[in-house]
Amino acid sequence: MRFLFCIFLFIYFLSTQLAFSSLDREIEIYKNIRCLVCQGQSLNDSNSDFANDLKKIIKTKLDNNETDKQIYKYLVERYGDWILFDPPIKTKTMFLWLIPLLTLIIGFYILRKKISFSKD
Amino acid sequence: MASDFGLVSLVLALMITALVPLLFLKHAAFKTELNYNSFYFFFKISFFLILSAFIFLVISFVFSDFSILAVYENSHIDKPLFYKISGTWGNHEGSMLLFILVISLYGFLFILFSKNLNESLKSTTVFFQSIIQLIFLFFLIFTSNPFEKIIPVPNQGLGLNPILQDPLLAAHPPFLYLGYVGFSLLFSLLLAGLITNQYSANWASIAKRWIFLPWTFLTFGIALGSFWAYYELGWGGYWFWDPVENASLMPWIASTALIHSILVMEKAKKLFNWTAILAILTFVLSLFGTFLVRSGILNSVHAFANDPRRGFFILIIISALTFAAFVIFILKSSRQGKDNASYIFLSREFSILVNNYLLIFALTVVIIGTTYPILLSVFAGESISIGPKYYNTILAPFVFVFLILMAIGPYLKWGKNFFSVVRFKFINILLVSIFLTAIISFILQKQDIVFWLGIACSVYLIISIIYETYYLKFTNLNYGRLFSHAGFGLLIFSITLNYFFSKEFTTKIPLGGSANYQDFKITFVNSFSQKQKNYEELFGYYEVEKGSTKVSLKPSIRKYNQPEQFTSETSIKNQWLSDFYIAMDYSKDPSNGIGVRFYFNYFIGLIWFSFVLITLGGFLGFIQRKNEKSN
Amino acid sequence: MKNQIKIVILGLLVSIFIFIFYFGLGSNTKNNPQVMVFKKLPAIELRSLYDNNIKISLPRLNQEKFYIINIWASWCTPCRDEHPLLMKLGIEKKIKIFGINYKDNQASARSFLKDLGNPFYYVGIDPDGTNSIELGAYGVPETYIIDSKGIIVLKHVGPLNNDVYKKILTKIE
Repeated sequence: MRFLFCIFLFIYFLSTQLAFSSLDREIEIYKNIRCLVCQGQSLNDSNSDFANDLKKIIKTKLDNNETDKQIYKYLVERYGDWILFDPPIKTKTMFLWLIPLLTLIIGFYILRKKISFSKD
Repeated sequence: MASDFGLVSLVLALMITALVPLLFLKHAAFKTELNYNSFYFFFKISFFLILSAFIFLVISFVFSDFSILAVYENSHIDKPLFYKISGTWGNHEGSMLLFILVISLYGFLFILFSKNLNESLKSTTVFFQSIIQLIFLFFLIFTSNPFEKIIPVPNQGLGLNPILQDPLLAAHPPFLYLGYVGFSLLFSLLLAGLITNQYSANWASIAKRWIFLPWTFLTFGIALGSFWAYYELGWGGYWFWDPVENASLMPWIASTALIHSILVMEKAKKLFNWTAILAILTFVLSLFGTFLVRSGILNSVHAFANDPRRGFFILIIISALTFAAFVIFILKSSRQGKDNASYIFLSREFSILVNNYLLIFALTVVIIGTTYPILLSVFAGESISIGPKYYNTILAPFVFVFLILMAIGPYLKWGKNFFSVVRFKFINILLVSIFLTAIISFILQKQDIVFWLGIACSVYLIISIIYETYYLKFTNLNYGRLFSHAGFGLLIFSITLNYFFSKEFTTKIPLGGSANYQDFKITFVNSFSQKQKNYEELFGYYEVEKGSTKVSLKPSIRKYNQPEQFTSETSIKNQWLSDFYIAMDYSKDPSNGIGVRFYFNYFIGLIWFSFVLITLGGFLGFIQRKNEKSN
Repeated sequence: MKNQIKIVILGLLVSIFIFIFYFGLGSNTKNNPQVMVFKKLPAIELRSLYDNNIKISLPRLNQEKFYIINIWASWCTPCRDEHPLLMKLGIEKKIKIFGINYKDNQASARSFLKDLGNPFYYVGIDPDGTNSIELGAYGVPETYIIDSKGIIVLKHVGPLNNDVYKKILTKIE
């Protein structure tokens, strides 16, 4: 059962990568960048001067065929990880994924202990 | 004047509230008889005193009594009456008073509607509820006094922020509080049950209504907030995984798990300890959400009265209540081997156990996502953001599994392995779901695994509910479950469609010009200015064509003058459950066109309808009296 | 016995909770301006405010031990507030300050300096804000101290105050 579930998860994660990349790339990037002078909005959702300036710069970079990674690196170098909405995958952020995974595993074992397969 | 009466009411309320636990403790310590009637009477008096204080505050706002600091900072003579009233709770102090009013209201309702309840359990519950009320009254009077004065008295107020003048925004806090603050009563009822050794399946029957009622309000409060964000903020979205949204979602998830856990406790006489933990956790999460929102610790769209000093006090209150509650739990929880009970595989109670497992997983994800930036900043001095992609990616697969569970679970029986009997029907319904998914996928021309899973699983749930109603021939229906589960299925169905088929596009269009995007054509037909009492409004008339459909929209930009502020008002029209949605951008240089944001929100009407269904389900669950046999 | 252990563990957990969130209240979960410190200043080119045909490149290497970059605008009120401190640094203490005039009208900028004094060794213009973003700024005013190797030694967001002024002097002298 657990093995099937892992396969399911794996297929799912693969497909999320496909699903997300099918949307407009420029908008995806703007949605992933925080407008630093706003209250929690992304560049895509902001009309502030800073957001518009940054969008122009990113558009130029996209026209120069820069990759998403290069654009994000440029921004993180200057503004820190905080400017990106997707959390970076570093050792310091691994708990973001570890802790839910641990909950899953621990919960699963607790459940297993409680099952009885009798008919009634 | 009103302010003086208000403050006096509050102080009196504090004193009477203090009297309640004192009376109780005296009775407990000296084993004397407690005069129950006068005991409840004092609590009821405290409720009326708090209510009066609240009414005095409302009066002060309505009459623009700027001698009160809260009124000065948050109101204005030119504010329309409705918003003067709602301004009462649109600030930290006023909303804390509302918070306490709800605590007291739930205690009051509990006394009123527990006529046949064992006096010992009843009075102990009131005791705990009065302690919570007392703690927050202290907090209110000493750190957040709504009647604090300002001298000299100003002539005019500061609070005319137009974004806060909105009917939904006005209604949002009362519903939220009737929700998550209402969990305080279940918390008290739990502690009372543990202390008086009456924590049993019977306790669970009593507790049900006190979990359904706040849950229903909380569901609706969250839905209101989402709907407000959609049409007011102008970005076409309805959920942003913003920390403040998450703050209300956390108690919602916990209380959903709790509803199911209480059902197991009542019907299968298991999960006693776990239910107790959940009941404490739900209320603690409500308070924790309050802390996150008011302390300034997180940055979000909704910054609200951020004050670290008050945040610290709330932190202490949360810690004290959590510690005390868990100590009582540790000392009094049943150790009679009840929780080493085993669950028959594929019994109803087992399916609910798995339901709780998944819900707790979802809760963990939301808690971690919301608090991780804080943890990282404290331990590593770094700042990161956690956006929607994190939550969507991790939670989506679990929602799909969850939907299937919701479909199968109700067919299972309490205490029995009953799967073999209904297995045949399951395969049928599964096949029908897959078939329908294939049809939808073909019609809409979308091939994507996530899309298929989302549609198939939600359709599966909806069909099994429809099937169940026919199978049971419309008798003995558990309407609460049917509506809320169907609503949830419909919600995921519409979210899936909305996610894959919505369109958005931003551009500049000059007057008279038009722009094309995929199969949409947007024409800027005309513009028109108008002057109102405290703002000037520039309307843009737009026509959007999609195929043979033509929709006229008129978004606007408002320029307020005190203080000078621009807002963008959206224009939304619904066509066959989908929204055509436009917002204008105020630009300094309109010579090459005004910026316009267009969103086509696919099937969003169905999302709102789903919220209503779920809320209705909660309400039906609340009013349901004696249970149908095995439902 | 077992109960007492549980209560102690509970107490510990609650204390940890208080500890974390108490420090969380005081910490900055938002933008970290220090992310550029100890990094090399990105290369930019600035045309002069006083003669658009003249331009310079930054960073300057091996010319001064330290120099300051200040991003400002005539429409920015806090820039007005910090201006006296800039004057002290530029004129009194004779530290080279490169001004970047951010998204401003050139005439207004020139009269701002005429009225309040010009502490800058060179004033460059950044009419569309791209140069400032290149340097990791997101508003005005912002101030950087750069060393002779082009490394950013200090970055301050917002107007200078006495504390920052003292800090700057300690770094430079």
